[in-house]
Amino acid sequence: MKRSILTLIPLLLGLYSLAPGAEPLIVKLAYVGEPGTSALAGVRQGLSEANVQGRFLGQEYRLEVLPPAAAEQDLSGEGGFAAVIAALPAPALLSLARGNPDLPVFNITAREDDLRDACLPNLLHVIPSERMLRDAEAQWRRKHPDSGARAHAWDEHFRKYAASQLNKRFREDQGIPMDDEAWAGWAAARMVADLVARRQSADPEGLLAALRGRIDFDGQKGVKMNFRPNGQLSQVIFLVENGRVVGEAPVRGVAGAAGLESLGKSECPAS
Amino acid sequence: MRFITTLFLALLSLGVMAEPTHRVFVTNEKSNDVSVIDAKSNRVIATIPVGKRPRGIGIAPDGSEVYVAVSGEDKIVVLDPKELKITREFGVGNDPETFAVNPKNGYIYISKEDDAKAEVYDPKTGALIAEIPVGLEPEGVAISPDGSKVIVTSESTNMLHVIAVPEHRVVANILVGARPRAATFNRDGTRAYASSEIGGEVVEVDMASHEIVHRQPLGSDKAKPKDVVLSKDEKLLYVAGGRLNKVMVLDADSLEIKKAIPVGKRVWGLALSRDGSRLYTTDGVSGTVSVIDTGKNEVIATIKVGKFPWGIAIDD
Repeated sequence: MKRSILTLIPLLLGLYSLAPGAEPLIVKLAYVGEPGTSALAGVRQGLSEANVQGRFLGQEYRLEVLPPAAAEQDLSGEGGFAAVIAALPAPALLSLARGNPDLPVFNITAREDDLRDACLPNLLHVIPSERMLRDAEAQWRRKHPDSGARAHAWDEHFRKYAASQLNKRFREDQGIPMDDEAWAGWAAARMVADLVARRQSADPEGLLAALRGRIDFDGQKGVKMNFRPNGQLSQVIFLVENGRVVGEAPVRGVAGAAGLESLGKSECPAS
Repeated sequence: MRFITTLFLALLSLGVMAEPTHRVFVTNEKSNDVSVIDAKSNRVIATIPVGKRPRGIGIAPDGSEVYVAVSGEDKIVVLDPKELKITREFGVGNDPETFAVNPKNGYIYISKEDDAKAEVYDPKTGALIAEIPVGLEPEGVAISPDGSKVIVTSESTNMLHVIAVPEHRVVANILVGARPRAATFNRDGTRAYASSEIGGEVVEVDMASHEIVHRQPLGSDKAKPKDVVLSKDEKLLYVAGGRLNKVMVLDADSLEIKKAIPVGKRVWGLALSRDGSRLYTTDGVSGTVSVIDTGKNEVIATIKVGKFPWGIAIDD
């Protein structure tokens, strides 16, 4: 009985492939960093959600987890990766991005402002910079001088804008609360999937160009997000105090017309 | 005698359509009740407590029942539109939000946000008829007037899923802008329109090819569009503009923006009267329903309802 079903499979696949575009497009992503981190859990979550979308639109996403030492390797070409998601300290991250100039490299953990000022064309920072977090806290304190709230990219208690749905499924699927780095990992995988589905292609150079254009990514923080000229993702920052989200930056009435751009730098330093 | 019997049977068969009450039913998400407005006087004539977080609302094809999704209590509550009483309820599990009633088979098609599926219920029995896997965070549900096609939007995977009835399977997936919220069909089912909340745009889809034929950004980051409704002559598309606090009026062919009608704050829900002369909005933050005269496309009445009015349906 089992055998007869197995023999049917190639037949069914054959029939299936008669429909144009029915073969899924295989999209490979690399994660470079330590295993067992919330950042990696975020990437895994993003990937499994990308595969939910891919089931309907004809893509299949696969993840290869590589140790930090892989930052010194050439990952383009034979690896066939569409993009690299990196959870690395700043020096290793720079070396990875410089060594693989044709691959989009997502930074999901390093907050250093210098990395943004480096302005590498293929280095995209999903995690907010130190400066963005400081600006968010400064805006918040202008309205709430006594508040001790700290700035975060994400918080497991945030509920608005469908954040509660994301927090809920992340905790159920990964067994840990979603933190800043988990969110960044999730977001990197999801934005790749959005663009691959839209473009029906996973070539890294085309993907990089698309990422540098208007992506209007929905990071489940209530705004559409795009990368700035310096490679930093514009985003809402949460103010968290005593385990509660007490506010959001840009802070209304303080940030002014600059909106999201009131948080951190956007442009590359003049050379 | 025979004549009378025949007449009686004829009346009985006609009797499937209940006499319309000309009442507008509004779910109030944060006051846990339904406001009932008399469409002739534009006055609230009753407020019916229904349970925690009522959101989606719809009316049976024969007008005999009003269905309310009570999100906080995982159930659909059934109201009698004449008596204004709860007649029964049935469980639908896990946070029901938006649904549509199929005008042909009378089934409720409901999106289950946390389960990535659409479910089909027979409201007469409460039986689950079908479960259809869709993308993440399914939200808006629209049904073609002939009942043969259902669109479910998946908010987190940015798709319109086209579901065939009665097969109840997905036959097409259309990628649209970020966070698709709501959709509607034209009368013959050849076109569909959908709003994207984060993308801040509206698309027009050709339902034969499943291709997007027009895409219209609403021009402001405040525009977080939700409900979309066609005018009776199908020349105009009304779009609830969310934080714009306006209903946008678009040309239904080109999607060119023709007008913006200021309404209350955070406008989400829209419903058009059967004769097409009135458009009703739910203005979430203001706690009002705005009544628009579609002849002039101006607000002619603003009616205070409960806290955070969300869904709206008309028995007419």
